[in-house]
Amino acid sequence: MFKHFFTTELKYTFKQPMIYIFTLLLGLLVFFAVVSDNVTIGGSVGNVFRNAPHIIAVYTGVMTIFGLIIATAFFNNAALRDHQNQFNEILFSTPIKKSGYFFGRFFGALILATIPLLGVFLGILIGSALAPAFGWIEADRFGEFYLSSFVNNYFLMILPNMFFAGAIIFAFANIWKNTVISFVGALAVIVAYIISGTLMSDIENESMAALLDSFGIRTYSFMSKYYTPVEKNTLGLQITPILIYNRLIWFGLGLIILLSSYFSFSFKQKNKKVKAEKNEKAVSRTPFILPKVSINFSSATSWRQFRSFFYINFLSIIKSTTFKILIIFSLLMFISNLAGGFEYFGLQSYPVTYKMLDIISNVSGLFTIIIVVFFSGELIWRDKDNNINEVIDATPHQSFISLIAKVTSLVAVTIVLYAFFVLSAVIYQLGTGYTRIELGLYFSDFFVSYLGYYIIYSMVLVLIHAMVSNKYIGYFISIALIFALDILLLIADIQSNMISLGATPRIIYSDMNSFGPALVSSIWFNFYWISFSLICLFLATMMWKRGTQANFKEKLQLMRKGMPKSFKISFFFVIVIWLGLSSFVFYNTQLLNEYDTSDERELLSVEYEKTFKKYENVDLPKVAAIDYFIDIFPYKRDAIVKAEVTLINSNETAIDSLHFDCNSSWDTEITITGAELVFEDEDFDYRIYKLAKPFMPGDTIQATINTSYITKGFENQVSNTSIVENGTFLNNFQVLPSLGYNENVEISDNNTRKKYDLPEKERMPALEENCGPACDKNYLTGGLSDFIDVETVISTASDQIAIAPGALIKEWEEDGRKYFHYKVDHPSMNFYSFISARFEVAREKWNGVDIEIYYDEKHNVNIPKMTDAVKKSLSYYTENFGPYYHKQCRIIEFPRYSTFAQAFPGTMPYSESFGFIINLEDESENNVIDAVIAHEIAHQYWAHQVIGAEMQGSTMFSEGFSEYSSLMTMKNASNDPMKMREFTKYDHSRYLRGRSNEIEKEMPLYKVENQGYIHYGKGSVILFALQDYIGEENVNKAMRGFLEEYRYKGPPYPTSLDFLTFLEPQVPDSMKYLIDDWFKEITLYDNRMMDATYKKVEEGIYEVNLKIESKKIKADSLGNETFVPINDWIDIGLFVDADESELLFQRRVKIDQENMEFTFVVDTIPAKAAIDPRHLLIDRVFKDNIKSVKEELAQ
Amino acid sequence: MSKLTISQLSKTYPNGVKALDNINIEIDNGMFGLLGPNGAGKSSLMRTLATLQEADTGSAHLDGIDILNQPDELRKVLGYLPQEFGVYPRVTAEQLLDHMAILKGITKKSERKEMVKYLLDKVNLYDKRKKAIKGFSGGMKQRVGIAQALIGSPKLIIVDEPTAGLDPSERNRFYNLLADVGEKVVVILSTHIVDDVRELCTNMAIMNLGEIVFKGAPQTAIEDLSGKVYQKIVKREELDNYAKEYSIISNKMVGGKPLIHVFSESNPGDGFEQVQPNLEDVFFSKINTSNILV
Repeated sequence: MFKHFFTTELKYTFKQPMIYIFTLLLGLLVFFAVVSDNVTIGGSVGNVFRNAPHIIAVYTGVMTIFGLIIATAFFNNAALRDHQNQFNEILFSTPIKKSGYFFGRFFGALILATIPLLGVFLGILIGSALAPAFGWIEADRFGEFYLSSFVNNYFLMILPNMFFAGAIIFAFANIWKNTVISFVGALAVIVAYIISGTLMSDIENESMAALLDSFGIRTYSFMSKYYTPVEKNTLGLQITPILIYNRLIWFGLGLIILLSSYFSFSFKQKNKKVKAEKNEKAVSRTPFILPKVSINFSSATSWRQFRSFFYINFLSIIKSTTFKILIIFSLLMFISNLAGGFEYFGLQSYPVTYKMLDIISNVSGLFTIIIVVFFSGELIWRDKDNNINEVIDATPHQSFISLIAKVTSLVAVTIVLYAFFVLSAVIYQLGTGYTRIELGLYFSDFFVSYLGYYIIYSMVLVLIHAMVSNKYIGYFISIALIFALDILLLIADIQSNMISLGATPRIIYSDMNSFGPALVSSIWFNFYWISFSLICLFLATMMWKRGTQANFKEKLQLMRKGMPKSFKISFFFVIVIWLGLSSFVFYNTQLLNEYDTSDERELLSVEYEKTFKKYENVDLPKVAAIDYFIDIFPYKRDAIVKAEVTLINSNETAIDSLHFDCNSSWDTEITITGAELVFEDEDFDYRIYKLAKPFMPGDTIQATINTSYITKGFENQVSNTSIVENGTFLNNFQVLPSLGYNENVEISDNNTRKKYDLPEKERMPALEENCGPACDKNYLTGGLSDFIDVETVISTASDQIAIAPGALIKEWEEDGRKYFHYKVDHPSMNFYSFISARFEVAREKWNGVDIEIYYDEKHNVNIPKMTDAVKKSLSYYTENFGPYYHKQCRIIEFPRYSTFAQAFPGTMPYSESFGFIINLEDESENNVIDAVIAHEIAHQYWAHQVIGAEMQGSTMFSEGFSEYSSLMTMKNASNDPMKMREFTKYDHSRYLRGRSNEIEKEMPLYKVENQGYIHYGKGSVILFALQDYIGEENVNKAMRGFLEEYRYKGPPYPTSLDFLTFLEPQVPDSMKYLIDDWFKEITLYDNRMMDATYKKVEEGIYEVNLKIESKKIKADSLGNETFVPINDWIDIGLFVDADESELLFQRRVKIDQENMEFTFVVDTIPAKAAIDPRHLLIDRVFKDNIKSVKEELAQ
Repeated sequence: MSKLTISQLSKTYPNGVKALDNINIEIDNGMFGLLGPNGAGKSSLMRTLATLQEADTGSAHLDGIDILNQPDELRKVLGYLPQEFGVYPRVTAEQLLDHMAILKGITKKSERKEMVKYLLDKVNLYDKRKKAIKGFSGGMKQRVGIAQALIGSPKLIIVDEPTAGLDPSERNRFYNLLADVGEKVVVILSTHIVDDVRELCTNMAIMNLGEIVFKGAPQTAIEDLSGKVYQKIVKREELDNYAKEYSIISNKMVGGKPLIHVFSESNPGDGFEQVQPNLEDVFFSKINTSNILV
């Protein structure tokens, strides 16, 4: 019996096209991801093989989510086919066995549901065979094929995922016998997945999230978190305890659901409630005389009909179960987004309105599109499905009225949904005590970012359904349109918003700068698309078949039938408007403001390198001083710059010509007395000026450079967020042309370089001992300047403050504009920012330094904390490293188009999106403001006083030292070792994650090649551990000595080896191994607490016994790891409490064997024992270092 | 006085089925019955007249309105109840009728209210006007359907199988309604229940395989058959033999045995007795010309 139902299920489905379509679909998606860089699934491939087991695991995981929607169809069909064909009463009255029927159908559907996912494997196999063969991707990007990874993925991911989801869907289908509710079941599974994901955003909950993810996707990403490239290429999905637990949990839950639905399943129909109809009163026979009515058909009638249609449609959506369930789901999503919200160092931001808008955008995007897609089909086919179409169609209304009412009701529903989100957001804001509710902003964001999109999609989807003759084909085309169109455009490298349906430029709302420069463009694009979709609606009306069904051909014939004159006139009118808008938008976004697509940009880089590489080594002068005259026109988004640049020839030979590489989006004019323009490249604006007489060594030349950025019309995407109405933030590299060939333009990815026959490129010149000319360049200014003097006169609109580096010498107003004159106190790196905005300023003085915080009036909460952080940092640094050379220390807020803080001499721009709005009311939490400000101020020493040569290892003593300084500032302030562990946890994680995502090769710290995870993550962790091992003062002494030697000194610039010469004398011989292990090699530890017990000797005397395991690992640059014998000093310790907030006992012991045992006596019972309790060492898995201490059982 | 004129109306479906084959009828005010077995083309004709389906050739006019080319004009004077009348979920009877009244051009709210109230009362659903129709029984739903077809002041009312699902008293009430309405406008009633036509219609047509095989008054048709119908109770196993020898109009079971009606110009003897023909005999004799057992 089982076999019969099982096989008929398969046979039935294999005769239908659905399963082949879905398999093909998933196969194609994966195929494209394998053969094209433009298509990515679950993140980019990186430096592992394109068919690596890791990639297969990621693809499979992501695709099981899509597969779930497909599975719904199979499970739902299996459960409901007989019911829908009304065959159930016949079938169930035959003597079939319940178990055979139920499980036969279920397992049949289960097998079917897994089949489309085999498309993933097919896509990978075919892709890896074809891509090298056709030269799409080089052969060396593909590795060995492991059968085990297919087998593992099938049995550990696909099958259990489909089982669990299938059990739910099958149960739903059997209970409610309604396809929509079955889809809701599938949606529930996906929502649960998303919720578990928001939990994972905080590192604390990772393993919980890994267990809670019913798909096992996050379980895998948790497992593979610290995978090295080699492991990714060979291991992939492996059987690990956490995976097995996860699979068992969800398999078990699925089994319970399946069995309970089996036991509640019955062949008998539920007794339908039959209400006895009341005896109706007999009506006396009276003649039938209809009341007299006035019937008229005018435009007022149409308007009344529209309203009635709208009302009926709107009500039918709002009242539908699907809508209500979607509302509940979206609320759940919304809440889970809030709960996980804004994590940063374990801190939350205040719920400022733009954060709420971001969450609404995350959540509403998915749900609104589901609603528009689902209900557009529903509204079109509803009359037919309910058998009322003929009655409605035979009434005297115009089809256009009925269709526009459908569109309007869809849009109205999206408004309801949005209003619901706003309400939830406001309740949340008020609930957390945040009272600056910006209802107007919620409202305007809807108009700016959503309304147009919803109108457009409603109309276009209505057209799709009007064209096709089957609801499901309509749905298929709708979904394909939404997803496939974007993929196709990506592949075709088309980025114009005029082509991608409903596309508008991306708007980022900023508290400082409101909707920003994208607003105008976005409005024009909306008009363009709305008029386009109106055309669609007119076409839909023309194809709208009343009465009997028609196929597409008949509908096309229908279009030729005459329409009323008024219809024709309006249609013509709309087309004219659309054409007008098209040309206007086209003129602005394609002609007035040209842009390059990503493929074009790549080609341009290649061409630039091929054309100008020959100039790489021409002798160039250096910038010795600059006087800037900058006029910023924030409300026009223009900037006009004049710079008097003093150039000096520091070479040993004369220079005969000057090379400039100008930014082509700026208009540049260069005037040099006695120089003549002899070469100018149109495409790249590369210029060569021939000097009339040779520029002799040691001589100087004045160059006057006039540049301007003038905003014209509007763009396809905003290309410049540096010059905006409120929050202009420019740096000198943007403003002025660079000298000579600009190596940064070159493509850095070696795989891409290979494609264009470019030679391999090293990320960074190799570290040289006793280096010669190679050390003449520092990595910031690349040999084009050393420490220079800068003076700036900057003007801006009268309601703004403009800031340039240095002390403010003079401030005045002229012609309704404000002028400021700044001069740098001490020659500094040629690396400045120019800023203008409507600022509030908080000022304080500290030991002769002006502390100034420039902030937006809305963001005043954390200002006292910021000044405090500045003071704390300055006092630690002046005490431990040396004097601060500027007379001012400025923190300046800029709009959240970027999220970073950056250090320029004496000025530190800081993004509005972090720091300014972080909620720090709870003092016990990590203080990110302290951390970031301390880091940036540390850069005033590490980068601005001493800067490394342009070679490996230099960022160690800019970024690494700054991050260390920041940790030390906080250590000094908090004085709590366990709190420091909370902080360094994020640095540990940054390093370990970073190394597993490394796309080229991991370098040891002293040879770091500007790799963030190494210089920030590993650098700070190692230096922090080092000061614990050899003493804070010793480390600082080495740093101070190094700083004193090189402070504000021109070439030769120091290297990391130079620093090590200062460090070595500070390290005692017993600890010398640390320099090799930590700085010069890649060393990891794998420490574990195997067993921790205590026994009471007497009251107040407890003997604790710890069994530990300790392994030491050396990794090479590709992540190959080898165990080496251990002979290291490592702490062991005991915690007073289970929360690990206080150490009871700590001792540094010499570990010289893998397994060791330690016994000691303490006076209270410890809660937990740990090896390396303060997490100083880089440990791939730290959690197993700690164990609860158990009482030793009497023998 | 309205007049519906159909001439040379033909429609062939893409699969080759001739749904309408050169239909020519003229229909005046009053109830007009359209009889025919399933698949005869009744619904195709009704849909075509209700502007819901195109014809290949021919024309149909209601007074001055060219139905095929001025569908909007016809819709203004049309009341239509299709064979399967469904309703929206979660919409009450009152809401639906109000919506229909708006669609039919009654823009004045007070008038609409009165009209809806009157009709609900007439179909005896006034008490249930606030209930969702989806929960109604088949008969109640059908009554809503009838009410909506009468909204406004239709000149042409087309009702397709209206009494399916109605109990005898409901059916009765419905006929009375239709009869009242039918005095002033053209009412086309399509059905396969012969009794409906006999009771209600002054004129009728019988359709089969897309063609009109009979048109005229029911009484005339019966009179034409008078004296030519004979009946006999036969044994089941002999049926085939009778079918070969006689032109059987119909056979039905009476007390477990087949009772056959045959058409014959003279008395066939052999135990047959003459009977007074009824409309059913007319119906079967018109559609069952190939002499097979039905």
